[in-house]
Amino acid sequence: MSTESVIEIRNLSKVYRDFWGRTKVKALNSLSLDVYKGEIFGLLGPNGSGKTTTLKLLLGLLFPTSGEVRILGQPAHDVEKNERIGYLPEESYLYRFLNADETLDFYGRLFKMSRSELKQRKEELLDQVGVKHARKRQLKEYSKGMTRRIGLAQALINNPDLVLLDEPTSGLDPIGTRDMKDMILKLKSEGKTVVMCSHLLADVQDVCDRIAILYRGDLKVVGNVQDLIQSRDETQLLTSPLSPDAIRDVEETLKKHGASLKSTSHPTTTLEELFLRTVEESEQRPGRRFEPGERPTTESA
Amino acid sequence: MFGSDSFWITLLLRWCVVGATTLVASLLIGSLLALIMHGGRAPQVIASSLGRAFHDLVFLSTRRIGAIALLTFKEAYRRKAFAVGIVFLGIFMFGGWFLGDSTELRSVAPYISIVINSMWFMLVPMALLISCWGLPADVKERSIHTVVTKPVRRSEIVLGRMAGYGAVITLILFTTAVVGYFWVVRQVPQRLSDQLIARVPVYGNLKFLTAQGAEAEKGINVGDPWDYRSYIEGQTKARAIWKFPKINKAELKSLGKLPLEQRFEAFRTYKGQIDLETRFTITFVNPDKDLRVPGGTFPTREFDVGGRDRVIEIPEQITYRDSYEADAEEKTANLFDDLIADDGSLTIEVGCVEPQQYIGVNVRDLFIRMPDKSFTMNYVKAIAGLWLLVMLLVFLGTASSCFVKGPVATLLVSSLIIMGYFLGGHIAEQQNQMMLMDDGKTVIDAGGPMESLYRLVTKETTLPDNIGSTIIKGTDRGAFMVLIAVYNLVPDLNWFNTGELVATGFDISLMGVILPCLIVVLGYLIPLVILGYFSLQLRELEHK
Repeated sequence: MSTESVIEIRNLSKVYRDFWGRTKVKALNSLSLDVYKGEIFGLLGPNGSGKTTTLKLLLGLLFPTSGEVRILGQPAHDVEKNERIGYLPEESYLYRFLNADETLDFYGRLFKMSRSELKQRKEELLDQVGVKHARKRQLKEYSKGMTRRIGLAQALINNPDLVLLDEPTSGLDPIGTRDMKDMILKLKSEGKTVVMCSHLLADVQDVCDRIAILYRGDLKVVGNVQDLIQSRDETQLLTSPLSPDAIRDVEETLKKHGASLKSTSHPTTTLEELFLRTVEESEQRPGRRFEPGERPTTESA
Repeated sequence: MFGSDSFWITLLLRWCVVGATTLVASLLIGSLLALIMHGGRAPQVIASSLGRAFHDLVFLSTRRIGAIALLTFKEAYRRKAFAVGIVFLGIFMFGGWFLGDSTELRSVAPYISIVINSMWFMLVPMALLISCWGLPADVKERSIHTVVTKPVRRSEIVLGRMAGYGAVITLILFTTAVVGYFWVVRQVPQRLSDQLIARVPVYGNLKFLTAQGAEAEKGINVGDPWDYRSYIEGQTKARAIWKFPKINKAELKSLGKLPLEQRFEAFRTYKGQIDLETRFTITFVNPDKDLRVPGGTFPTREFDVGGRDRVIEIPEQITYRDSYEADAEEKTANLFDDLIADDGSLTIEVGCVEPQQYIGVNVRDLFIRMPDKSFTMNYVKAIAGLWLLVMLLVFLGTASSCFVKGPVATLLVSSLIIMGYFLGGHIAEQQNQMMLMDDGKTVIDAGGPMESLYRLVTKETTLPDNIGSTIIKGTDRGAFMVLIAVYNLVPDLNWFNTGELVATGFDISLMGVILPCLIVVLGYLIPLVILGYFSLQLRELEHK
């Protein structure tokens, strides 16, 4: 992984004050971290932990009380840096009176893009996010999931080097969630840096290389996802199905090496995977109903 | 007034002074805040902010401004702002209700006024509302987050919004103006259609001679509290003397006559012969040739209320006798060759004929009427004046909405409109009183607010000569200075009242009316964009 910092945060603090200057809440407390080029970085934490505040400070939507932020080598308030940034807000704060076409046209014209480049990019994105069929409908008629999709499209209209996603899977159905995660992984494969904040831990685990956990404005944990969740004092073996005798033999062998068998069970798939398989099977064989205990067998994505 | 060089220099100087004062005050406040917030780093922060501001205000992208303007236009369109036009059409459908019996109307003014006033009452609130509420709604709904996180400068947002709202208002104005024009042309009765013209007046300067023949700035006040007209007494040496500087001799010569129009008012001290109108004489004076040529005696048309039959046509060749003797020699003078002075000016003396009766005059009551211009063009110019007014309101509204919420911005701009229409004259009067006070002799009856309060409480008519009075007078002077400062910041919206001119059939001068209005609008646009920019730049765009 690259060690080139795309985002540098140093001692960043944010205090929200009331009209009289009295402290209302300390949203962020002396946060320092780096995000490296080409990685997917997750900002985790419960509600009110300071995730969105951090993103907004990065984007210059909020002003820091103290500390410093450099993003793509520029200070947060620099407008030029936005040429290389894409941002998907927590709620898709889009203009609801525009249709999808007009939305992408509008945001595209804010960048240095030629007309033909914008047209091509628009077609690609409408296709990728799957709202091409509804491109002439005003966004006020969109479902939340569709709004999220067009929100992502506007964030990517400039083919950015750095993408900031605030709760990207919020409001999406499992298929939409999977598409979003695929899209995030695709961005990484294109060499882009992605920063996402979410409290949907499974989504973060699926896509993030590194994470930081915030709690009430303090940075508690930062590091590689695999390193952080790996349990080094246990070993897991995954085999083809074993008979009770075979299990006993394995237990004996383990005893010889001073280890013990803690549990044996059949591994489970995720609910998300089961759901996706069911949907795919249903699309391939319409009218098919599964009997109680029966499971779809199609190898889905 | 508008045409003179000194006027423009005064205007430019005032703009520079107000702009520079505001800039210095803003810099001082900003520096103080930076010092409080950043301590020793304040100079660096200020320098960086100013550098960024310069860059953001100068290097603007027309593409981005255009995109935001188009967005604004679509927003207004999709939110049915154009429905206002339908209301306007409704007014015309029932316009006849407001006009009464058309057979009794003697002027086309009501027809034109109803169009211009309807447009004013429709467009001014609309300009106010859409410009004051758009940006705050954007901040409230946080859709602005997806814009400011793109490479968009705050100045481009302000300009884009102004351009978008401007385009919306322009389209509505244009449509309603076209409908209004055809409504006027079709509705005006045939007998009044000759009034659909644009008279081109050339005004002069006015001086007086008293009844004893002494020069004076004003005539007699006959007791009318409205000091608009001064009066000259009949059968005395009292005269009203107009001097028309640098008249267009060639154009008048091509007409072969001198058309004059008068609006004199008769004031009778006794009833006299009521069926005979009070008369006045006209005398042309050329001081260079020491020539005085009587132009004739004319009725004042004192019973012709609102009528337009007040044109006097003086032929090029004037035959006259220079004395009242029966055998006096008959002479001929050429109006243009003999009566226009070497400096190109024409002097006309007006006297009242009837003894003990008076004629009231104002400088604008006698003018040379150049060939009439097209009503259509005049109507277009009136619409241009209205357009400039609503543009100014759009700029004010957009800039206000950058730092306060919609309702507050609406109140703020509404207050500016009221002040712009009604307070200008009042504050100018206060300013004149202060200038009078400065001569050390004049005493203002009521004083300022503090002095009035003192008198109310103590029931004294004069202030004692002590330190307390000095403080009271100083405070009053300070209050006036604040009012004058506010007055200098508030646009005088009376300049944009072009509707009355077109309704009364006077040509709206492009250079004398429309250009000054345009310059006023541009004069406000620059500081308002700067204000809007800093308001958006220095605030967190989170809705609270």
